[in-house]
Amino acid sequence: MIAAVQASQVTKCFGGLTAVNTVDLIVPKGSISSIIGPNGAGKTTLFNCVSGFYVPDSGEIQFFGQPISGLATHQISKCGIARTYQNIRLFKEMTAVENVLVGQHHRMRSTWIEAIFHTPRYYQEEQKALEKALELLDFVGLSGLEDTPAYNLPYGAQRRLEIARALASDPALLLLDEPTAGMNPQETDEMTAFIKNLRDTREITILLIEHDMRVVMDISDQITVLDYGMKIAEGKPAEIQSNQRVIEAYLGPGAAALSEKFRRKKTLYAYS
Amino acid sequence: MKTSLTKGLRSGIVFGIVFIFLMLIGFINVGADMVGDISSASAASGAGGRLPVGDLLIVIAVFGVFCGIAARSKSEEVQWWSALLGGLTAGITAGLLMGVAIWLVGSLSLDGVDFRTYLPSLNPASIQYLTFYSYPQSAGLTYLMYMAIFSVAGAALAWLLSFRDWLAKSWNSCKTGLGGWFEKKDVSRIFSNQWLMIVVFLAAGILLYFLPLAWGSYWNYIMGTVAIYILLGLGLNIIVGYSGQLVLGYVAFFATGAYTFALLTAPTPHGIEMNLWLAVGLSILVSTLTGLLLGLPILNLRGDYLAIVTLGFGEIVRILIRSDLLTSLTNGPKGVTSVGQPNLFGSPFSDVNFMHLLMLLVLIGLFIAKRLKDSNTGRAWIAIREDQTVAQATGINTFKHKILALLLGAAFAGLAGALFASRNQFTGPEDFTLMVSVNVLCIVIVGGMGSLPGVVLGAFVLKGIPELLREMADYRLLVFGALLVVMMIVRPEGLWPARRVRFKRSHADPDRQDAVEVEV
Repeated sequence: MIAAVQASQVTKCFGGLTAVNTVDLIVPKGSISSIIGPNGAGKTTLFNCVSGFYVPDSGEIQFFGQPISGLATHQISKCGIARTYQNIRLFKEMTAVENVLVGQHHRMRSTWIEAIFHTPRYYQEEQKALEKALELLDFVGLSGLEDTPAYNLPYGAQRRLEIARALASDPALLLLDEPTAGMNPQETDEMTAFIKNLRDTREITILLIEHDMRVVMDISDQITVLDYGMKIAEGKPAEIQSNQRVIEAYLGPGAAALSEKFRRKKTLYAYS
Repeated sequence: MKTSLTKGLRSGIVFGIVFIFLMLIGFINVGADMVGDISSASAASGAGGRLPVGDLLIVIAVFGVFCGIAARSKSEEVQWWSALLGGLTAGITAGLLMGVAIWLVGSLSLDGVDFRTYLPSLNPASIQYLTFYSYPQSAGLTYLMYMAIFSVAGAALAWLLSFRDWLAKSWNSCKTGLGGWFEKKDVSRIFSNQWLMIVVFLAAGILLYFLPLAWGSYWNYIMGTVAIYILLGLGLNIIVGYSGQLVLGYVAFFATGAYTFALLTAPTPHGIEMNLWLAVGLSILVSTLTGLLLGLPILNLRGDYLAIVTLGFGEIVRILIRSDLLTSLTNGPKGVTSVGQPNLFGSPFSDVNFMHLLMLLVLIGLFIAKRLKDSNTGRAWIAIREDQTVAQATGINTFKHKILALLLGAAFAGLAGALFASRNQFTGPEDFTLMVSVNVLCIVIVGGMGSLPGVVLGAFVLKGIPELLREMADYRLLVFGALLVVMMIVRPEGLWPARRVRFKRSHADPDRQDAVEVEV
């Protein structure tokens, strides 16, 4: 197994609050991994450490064996990590296709001087980028909305545009921060299918934060559970579902006992 | 009906107070004078040294009409009688306020009260004019009557114009009647016809060539200023409009350009008298280096902090230029005189030649700014403006691009500065006050952030209109300020807001265009 991301003993504090506390995380290449946990568990902080928004106070993060903690975010992006945001952060005044073109920025070689004189290289590069952007918009199902300014797009389309922008940089790892937040059940199902399809057709490793357990249990190969900044469980969906500490974290200490009782009762009924 | 009444009351109070204010500062008389100027061809000046009262009545009538228009309620469908009632309420309210004010002012003036101590424009002669050379009471009643009548007229007008659907429908039938001449497709076909566009460009070029010849030197001077400000605006537009960094010390780069050019070409204080075109290049270079000097330490600041620091930088440059410390280098507060002028085949540039040079440079500047905007670099700038953090996470080296924007902006300012110094043949520290930065920023904002036609339009409006308003002498800046306020309310995005580029499917992939057409 090749690890796309290998985080070891990552810690990040804000003043007196330890948002992420000595967390180890391994995301296997080609997998869909999820990070779950109650609100304020440190999921997004861990994400921000991986994508370079925060520099961890201690610990190391490797991306395909190469240490990335401490690099500027644009350098990390160049390494092949792309992300989306919990609260959608598009370039609002730009059109859909321009947002995707910005995603391709660091692959374009021509300079501003070439842009002024429209050299052949600049022209070809620009054409190629445009074709790719349109193709990506088709892929996420936004064909026909290319020229719409991002702020005018409906909510679901904005989420998909954000993914298209992230995909435009040809990432090896895609970080999705609550991709189905604010969606109705049907949209959620579409998004779930879309993420699966993404992994299968584009061979991208996906790491996501998600609150919708239906989605998480459906698509994850591996789940990591955080609570108060600590990793409390890790494993396959079925293992997590029956993990005592996870149930405690979500529902309180009494709930674990209750659920145990409930399970026993169910077995009893099953026998009777 | 109740809303009509309250709306009318509100509009009446606002217009009444505005009128009284304008009257107290003497602007109503100026307005009447202007009406008089316009209509002077037909109307002979009043008998016995009296100003024609009709002009004042026209001003009041215009006020009344606008008062009535403002009284309409936008939100709902209104019956005609309700609309007229609103207009009447507005007119009577405003008329009452104005009438009482006139009556008070008029009778106090007759009693010998001198208003000039506090309100210099309100001299007895103008008060007599405002009371139509008659009794204050009857003048007040005239105001009331006039306002009521014209406000109702205004309300009726507004009510008629609210039939927009009806107007649009009749306009549509007109269009089909004219055989689809104005159909969108045909217009776009004209614009996409290359030969036609070449003809249009040629015509515009010929017009631009002959305009300075026809204008005369006064207009060449004003339009030259406008052109220099367009160049400045283009530069600042790259910094503020595209990359979104609020730099308030833009004048520093302008000053560096002007002083570099002046010191390199003037006989005093250094006597270098370098080749002009080389000096222009060097001014641009020095300005750019100044940009680098400023940019490297501070570009990690954002928003307000950046604005404050750059504001200080602009002032520092001006103060340094006039300081004792640098007098030997810059000639201090006296400034540099007889700055070099360009030559054309041995003879010095005339104002017409200079205007042509400026036009050419503005066109080149527009071209460069346009190409940059549509490029990869331009998109990176706009992404940084929209959300810097995300732009960086998307793979844009934000620091590099912000510095680049600053340097390019500074280069434009350096060029503008060199031209400015050369045209005036003089440059002194007081040419580079904070107001220059503010003016250029206004040009960018009034025109519409990040919009190139906006910069051109903004420069004309902000540098051209104040000249046109010279007619109004003291009230120039008042009117100008009022225009700006009105504009910001009516068009908050700027006169000509930036439109993002439209990509056509066919542009990238001809096959797909066919597919779409088959579907249709």
